[in-house]
Amino acid sequence: MSLSVLICDDSNMARKQVLRILPESLSENVQLATNGVEALEILNNQPIDVLFLDLTMPIVDGVGVLQGIKEAGISVNVFVISADIQPEMQNKVLELGAKAFLRKPVQLDVLTTHLKQHDII
Amino acid sequence: MNNVNLNEDQQDCLQEIINVAMGQASDQLARYLDTFVYLKVPSIEQVSAQHLSDTLKYEAQSVAVVSQGFFGYEGIRGEALLMYQPKDSDRLADLLGYEPDELSVEEQIIDLSSILTTTFLNVFASQIDNQMSYSAPRLLFSSNADNNTSSQSSISEHIQHNSFNWDTALKVKISYQVTDYSFNCDMILLIPESAIINITSVIDRILEEY
Repeated sequence: MSLSVLICDDSNMARKQVLRILPESLSENVQLATNGVEALEILNNQPIDVLFLDLTMPIVDGVGVLQGIKEAGISVNVFVISADIQPEMQNKVLELGAKAFLRKPVQLDVLTTHLKQHDII
Repeated sequence: MNNVNLNEDQQDCLQEIINVAMGQASDQLARYLDTFVYLKVPSIEQVSAQHLSDTLKYEAQSVAVVSQGFFGYEGIRGEALLMYQPKDSDRLADLLGYEPDELSVEEQIIDLSSILTTTFLNVFASQIDNQMSYSAPRLLFSSNADNNTSSQSSISEHIQHNSFNWDTALKVKISYQVTDYSFNCDMILLIPESAIINITSVIDRILEEY
């Protein structure tokens, strides 16, 4: 059974970057969100197994999404994919429950390694 | 204004390339200042010469402005303006952590500007398989004096004296906000008309891969 995936990024190109390197088991049931509000709406209404989350976004940013997930007690494996690579930000998202921080632009081998490390694939 | 508008995909692609460069520059700034830098989504707009002049007058409500030209392959070039807006200039010296009299505030500002500009543009260039050269950073205005009028004219004159055609420019504005020090720094990249066309060609090549 394929896992449900949500990719949240305000950039169409960044969403495509993730989409095209997804392993087969994650590429059959993919939804897209362009900001944190859209992502939280999806997460509150249906089970999502894996969320790939950008941080610097308009309306509600990635940190806001992680806080929303935590407050609502939603169970989802979150992989942050961001250009904001400051160590303080990386620690912050891990403290908020993200499984891993991946720097943009994300590469296939890096994504695969992290997904394997967390038993997603 | 000539028709060199970016379409939605081109703008999105440019914004994402800028995001990655901004992230690495902010990381450098955070390490340099030993603090956290809050990032906002950068803005990209195409401006006419008149709007550019008006914008620079508005943006020049700053304590200090440093300008540095950049030149890459394939006709990609422009001017980076670093605009500092701390609540007071003395605070900037404390923030930068130099001993008194080690370096003047002006020298410290130029140092910081050079780090931000070159880090940002080197990352930007590497993403488009390019390489940048830089002119020496130049302090256009520092505000030990309270003279905004002279700062505005200094920036405008500096821009006009460049050999670029500024009838139309792409203006990219990136805000670096160091929240715990109430310190703000805006990086404004001005890309002249001829270079916009060249950047558009590079972006189209990247988009073909998607």
